[in-house]
Amino acid sequence: MLDLTSPYLEWIGPMMPGEVFPYFFTMEMFQRALLAAMAVTIVSGFLGSFLLIRNLSLIGDGLAHVSFGGVAVGIVLGSTSPLWYALLFSTISSILIYEMQSREILTGDASIAIFLTGMLAFGLVLLRISGGGITLDVEGYLFGNLLLIDSADLDLIIMISLISLLTLVLIHSALLATTIDPLAAQIQGLPVRGIGQIFSVVTAMVVVSMVQVVGTLLVTALLVTPAATAQLIGRSFRSCLVLTQIFGFSSVILGLYLSAEMDTGTGSMIALVSAMIFAAVAISKMITSYTSAIRIHSLNEA
Amino acid sequence: MKKQILDVCDLSVVRSGKVIIRDVCLTINEGEFVAIVGPNGGGKSTFLLAILGLLKTRSGTIEIYGHPPMSRKLHRKIGWVSQAASYLPKDVKITVRELVKLGTLHSGNMFDFLDSGRNEKVNQAIRMTGLEAVQNTPVARLSGGQRQRAVIARALATESDFILLDEPLVGIDPESRNSLLKLLDRLCHEQGKTILMVSHDLTAMSRSAHRIVFLEETIRFDGPTWSFPDMDKLADLRGIANVHGD
Repeated sequence: MLDLTSPYLEWIGPMMPGEVFPYFFTMEMFQRALLAAMAVTIVSGFLGSFLLIRNLSLIGDGLAHVSFGGVAVGIVLGSTSPLWYALLFSTISSILIYEMQSREILTGDASIAIFLTGMLAFGLVLLRISGGGITLDVEGYLFGNLLLIDSADLDLIIMISLISLLTLVLIHSALLATTIDPLAAQIQGLPVRGIGQIFSVVTAMVVVSMVQVVGTLLVTALLVTPAATAQLIGRSFRSCLVLTQIFGFSSVILGLYLSAEMDTGTGSMIALVSAMIFAAVAISKMITSYTSAIRIHSLNEA
Repeated sequence: MKKQILDVCDLSVVRSGKVIIRDVCLTINEGEFVAIVGPNGGGKSTFLLAILGLLKTRSGTIEIYGHPPMSRKLHRKIGWVSQAASYLPKDVKITVRELVKLGTLHSGNMFDFLDSGRNEKVNQAIRMTGLEAVQNTPVARLSGGQRQRAVIARALATESDFILLDEPLVGIDPESRNSLLKLLDRLCHEQGKTILMVSHDLTAMSRSAHRIVFLEETIRFDGPTWSFPDMDKLADLRGIANVHGD
């Protein structure tokens, strides 16, 4: 992937502003970070739009913490790519959370909360017992560090993103139908449960691929915030999907630029920019609504 | 002789250990507009869910178009308009057109990228429900009556001839209610649809349905609308004695 895109990135690099930011286009280590961030942004925007309307905003956060438990197991077992363990743990947990919710064993976010705290605690205890504790590597998984991504991780992230995106594109109509009215969808003959399970697996896969980009604690920033921002101004589901991509990309590019130039963590800066974009759109929407209400009021009085 | 669409025989349903429906028998023929009325908790919605195969039955048989509920052969033959129409999440930015298009999906085309005539079905359903002017408006911005129309349009887009409606008149103003009932009447007479509607609005039903079924655990009355008993007779049927009587 890097071989394919590297010449184009190197061509764009000199046009980029800042002192450090252009390195994201010219140096291999930074190029990997940029590509991983882009791949994750595209798929997380698409996924986030569905998570939001399924009232599952917190599942990204929950699975990110579960994946931390998997990463801890991988580190303790001496794995060179602990993300595979995170993938296994998150996928199993995601399916279990879906089943518990759909069978009404636990309602709302209770099942997410149980998995979130249980697996995070499991990871922390395991790391403490093994004597490793929270090292720089582990901190990277918690808060995100794009610069930790090696070639194998990039391949895994790109592969997961492609598979997830393809699956979501394929099931998006049925997914929307089962989300809006599951009963009507079932009567139409759509496999509601199967679609829900596929969606759970895709969610787990995407969350794991995001862990190393923005970190366990900040997954929600890319998964939900751009989609929530889009919902503020979108007029149709399709327009929300497009706007989510625009806000997601803006957050990532601006976040990478600011973190490079201000020497801060990439994950936290991307999350901060994402939240600031949300705030800006929300405030401008409020001002617009307020001024149009005043205009209507004055027209009525006249 | 008209084709039989629904045949329910000796149906009983128990939920959480309580008998909700007991020994219900009901037959509906093609082109009929049947209203199921009754008090809250009388088993109206349970009956609908049972005939759709979404609830376990204790005894009895159900056949729709000669097939058991949830049979693959029933896909695209039943249109469902739920109470949930008025509960569509307000923050979901889905337009009327997008919602109606979801009705054209089934197990055979859910992965299709091609239009395959789906847009024409959507246009037709939107035309039939008179929603052309608001087809690109988010459903959340519509009035209660328009929302119900949008959900009916979704059911029509499935091209089903048997439409089931669960309390579609709840939460909508009288004008919208009348226009909705006119729409259902038109679907029945002009399009030949068979309609089974659950409602607690007895007045509205007695002015629009062909036949009324009064359900309170079991069927207390089943007959043409004009023969529906007055309040005293209905109270007798329900076993309610006159407290202030002589």
